[in-house]
Amino acid sequence: MNITDFFALGSACFGILMLGSVNLRLNLFLYSLQTIFMALATLNQSFKLVNIEMYFICIFIIALKALFIPYFLNNVLTKIDIQYDSNVMIPAPIGMHISILFLGISQLLSDKIIQSMPSIDSIGGVTAAISLLFTGILFMLLRKIAISQIIGFLTLENGIFIFGVSITKGLPLIVDLGVLLDLLVAIMIAGLFVFRIKSSFEHIDVTQLNELHEN
Amino acid sequence: MKYILIGLQIILSLFLPLLAIGIIRQIKAKLQNRIGPPIIQPYYNLIKLFKKNQILSHDSTWVFPLSSIINLSIVLILSFIIPWLPFNKSVFSGDIFLLIYLLALMRFFTIIGSIDTGSPFSSFSTSREVSLAVLLEPAIILALLALAVAFKTSDLFQIFNYAYSLDLIKIPVLILSASSLFLASIVEFSRCPIDDPTTHLELTMIHEAMIIENSGLNLAIVEYTYSLKLLLFYGLIAQCLTHCILIILNLNILLQSILCLLIIFSLLILTSLIESFSVKLSWHKVPDFIAYALTFSFLAVFAAIINGVSL
Repeated sequence: MNITDFFALGSACFGILMLGSVNLRLNLFLYSLQTIFMALATLNQSFKLVNIEMYFICIFIIALKALFIPYFLNNVLTKIDIQYDSNVMIPAPIGMHISILFLGISQLLSDKIIQSMPSIDSIGGVTAAISLLFTGILFMLLRKIAISQIIGFLTLENGIFIFGVSITKGLPLIVDLGVLLDLLVAIMIAGLFVFRIKSSFEHIDVTQLNELHEN
Repeated sequence: MKYILIGLQIILSLFLPLLAIGIIRQIKAKLQNRIGPPIIQPYYNLIKLFKKNQILSHDSTWVFPLSSIINLSIVLILSFIIPWLPFNKSVFSGDIFLLIYLLALMRFFTIIGSIDTGSPFSSFSTSREVSLAVLLEPAIILALLALAVAFKTSDLFQIFNYAYSLDLIKIPVLILSASSLFLASIVEFSRCPIDDPTTHLELTMIHEAMIIENSGLNLAIVEYTYSLKLLLFYGLIAQCLTHCILIILNLNILLQSILCLLIIFSLLILTSLIESFSVKLSWHKVPDFIAYALTFSFLAVFAAIINGVSL
């Protein structure tokens, strides 16, 4: 296990811990830690591959995804005055244990992937990526509040990014910047939507949005 | 030299535990703007309890006084098989499975002693203790097994046999096991988020209600057993964390011991901070709390296994 794997798996661990809490601010904080660990994995990979572009991407990730987006969503939470995602489908600790099961499954899957592609050396990175994908999907499935859906989507996106970092020799700067910009715009629009939904429906439970509401 | 070290260890295990309890109480008092009892107040309490008469319930049999003595002897054996300070030398081999079964035996005798008194409070606190123990034991066992898998031995003295090697892959296992054991120790010793050790409200308490019938010499033995077990657990956690630092830095045995004692002290401060700033959880939230300890154990086992696979 090298340093990149260490940081990538640490990021996956924070993802799993995020699933165990229903406090939305704590979720955002753990998401931020997870993204910082992901950025550190990228930084280490950039030193290893002597790739100056990945170094810049790392700075952008920390500035945008680890600091700005949680700050923005925190502001949204303050405005709509919601603290807890209280009605989850199954209890949060059991969801956390299920995601640990998925961590084991992703280890087996990444073993298969490594066997078919012998040029990849970071098995931990691939494991962490698939685990973060599963965690993000579970987070979106189990929670009912719109903010949780956003956090789950961001976690899923982190998984895709780690997968890209660990199996390629680094994407071009322009591609990654485009993805980051798209993500930023998407999150800001989603945040505004949550605010509008809250003000017109008086709740942000996504399972009840199919009922029409007239004002 | 070996006998001097063993003698030092015996002296420390006689005098440090009550000091640890005193430190926790003192820091809590300072955080609540009280003057608080002096740090050596637990010693005064112990001396006072030795002088007092013992009052036994009419319903209790010979099991009740015997159980506290058996617990004391088990915890004294534990102080020899757990390497809770770096200079501890193995008199016996400190096998992990022996440790697990001795902890279970200790719990069994605590339970049987408290049921024997026939007090209703003891009975329902016993049922609480057992239902928590069922949830808690997997967490402790898995945390210790993760260490065993990572170091490829089940002897605690060999696990904490310091060898300076830049073996960075063992750090996550050690940190995750230590955090799992710390969360487990909060439940095991019924510290604050689970149970408030200072209140005597019978409806909510767990550990205090189990020992509510003890008095005099018995109570002194029970309190000493409790504090020594707390110190042993914290020593084990501190050993894990010291080992993390020693993987990177090469220190001699004196510095290791000082570092370990400092970590134990900071764990005591952490415990009193948690007790000051958290409120007692309601009973149905306690399994959620234990689930976190179990999660850290699972992650530690995963980290230990992944080390073995990829190398």
